Amino acid sequence: MATMSRLRAVLIDLSGTIHIEDAAIPGAVAALQRLRERTTNIKFVTNTTKESMTTLRNRLSRIGFDIKQNEIFSSLTAARNKVQEMGCRPMLLLQDSAKEDFKDICTDDPNCVVVGLSPDSFNYRTLNQAFRLILDGHPLIAIHKAKYFKRQDGLALGPGAFVEGLEYATGVRATVVGKPERAFYQEALKTMSCVPEEAVMIGDDVEGDVQGAQTIGMKGFLVKTGKYRLGDEEKISPPPEAICEDFPAAVELLLKEYL
Amino acid sequence: MASGNWYDSAIEGVLLDITGVLYNSTDEGGVPIPGSIEAVKRLKASGVRVRFCTNETQCTRQQLVDKLQRLGFELSVPEVFAPAPAACQLLKARGLTPHLLVYPGVLPEFEAFDLGAKPTCVVVGDAADIFNYETMNNTFRKLLEMDPPVLISMGVGKYYRHGGELMLDVGPFTKALEYAVRCEAIVVGKPDRNFFLGALQDMGVQPQNAIMVGDDIVNDVGGAQKCGLKGLQVRTGKFRPSDEHHPEVRPDGFVENLAHAVDLLLQHRKK
Repeated sequence: MATMSRLRAVLIDLSGTIHIEDAAIPGAVAALQRLRERTTNIKFVTNTTKESMTTLRNRLSRIGFDIKQNEIFSSLTAARNKVQEMGCRPMLLLQDSAKEDFKDICTDDPNCVVVGLSPDSFNYRTLNQAFRLILDGHPLIAIHKAKYFKRQDGLALGPGAFVEGLEYATGVRATVVGKPERAFYQEALKTMSCVPEEAVMIGDDVEGDVQGAQTIGMKGFLVKTGKYRLGDEEKISPPPEAICEDFPAAVELLLKEYL
Repeated sequence: MASGNWYDSAIEGVLLDITGVLYNSTDEGGVPIPGSIEAVKRLKASGVRVRFCTNETQCTRQQLVDKLQRLGFELSVPEVFAPAPAACQLLKARGLTPHLLVYPGVLPEFEAFDLGAKPTCVVVGDAADIFNYETMNNTFRKLLEMDPPVLISMGVGKYYRHGGELMLDVGPFTKALEYAVRCEAIVVGKPDRNFFLGALQDMGVQPQNAIMVGDDIVNDVGGAQKCGLKGLQVRTGKFRPSDEHHPEVRPDGFVENLAHAVDLLLQHRKK
């Protein structure tokens, strides 16, 4: 299409879009290489809160993706920035691997609660401790509020469910720092020297990825892998800019019509 | 509605919450709230009809009554309305097979159902230590397999007091599942209208002649008020000072404890 405006930046979701746990989406490694031949303005934006930046990059490199640490912008980074800005000592409902991103932040005598995807913390005892801190007036920070995610054995509960529960119990709204918050996408675009209209987001989460990005003026491509379920594309208005079978198909479309 | 005090109207029946009004639960069982044992006796002796409306779902009604009798309370199983029997009625009426996310103590209430069969609904109670990622995720998946998902929640309380500390009640876990599955739970127990009305019907008292005494401002007081009863808030159990200025619920009265409520009620009747 001749009138199509050219895009200058590509944001790509990780889990469910280019890989599921330790397996790459078929064709995704090669597709990323083809994309890099056309543009270097790429950022991987992720709500995967179980893993620190280092863990994340090591896993991606182990399954064949060539990704630099400064190309990753995660919701954990956003949460860490937020905690520092507020000057809080967080109780971290995070897996040990994710706590690494907070290792130089004091967590003694906590005065705020940070919730990520943390199966080990989602037990009655720990949730009660977090609940009491919040009820006493300390802030609740959610890495993100995803309802569920795709695991190799099927869909699994995301941290959003537990955040919602804590919000209900305390009457306090969480400050959400990850996708699909506007602030998250604005922060991610900061170093990409382009306006939102010149950027695209590719992801498997119709609300978190596609709608979140489209809300600030970016284009959103939905891929039918990962957590995608039939009919997801009809859940948002306006609809996704494009709906693609998988990441390689999304890259084909970008190369053909948008870049 | 005439202005004035709640005890100025003709009260023929009283619904009493149990935990936080009669006694405080602890790991060792429980401790009666001072004056409550006598208050129940005085209320019954006065001829005012009494029923007990609890959202307790960690044990059967029989176990609860046994425990309260040991503590010194005068009450019997038929006087107690609890969510588990209400849930069972609903399951039977709709021909549903439950997946249970409940505390083991309440399981005997569900013995009429084939728990090995493929579930057609989920029933959630105050499962306490049973709530963890595995059990919640398993329940989430069961709901996803249903079309549409049917979630039944035995109460939706936010928290309660246990052994001096506030503990999460079933509500936050129900809300977690509702959010993840995008469904709305059917609530049995307080504040479900049918629950209050069932207890009133059992004692043959009209809503305008009845009062609910509870420590949960939303589910006890607010729930009863929505059914046309008066709602009385005690300053025991899970009560917090912020409840005095609750954004949604304005009780018909505040009392220090159940004994105080019964004093006011009986003084007025004697006039």
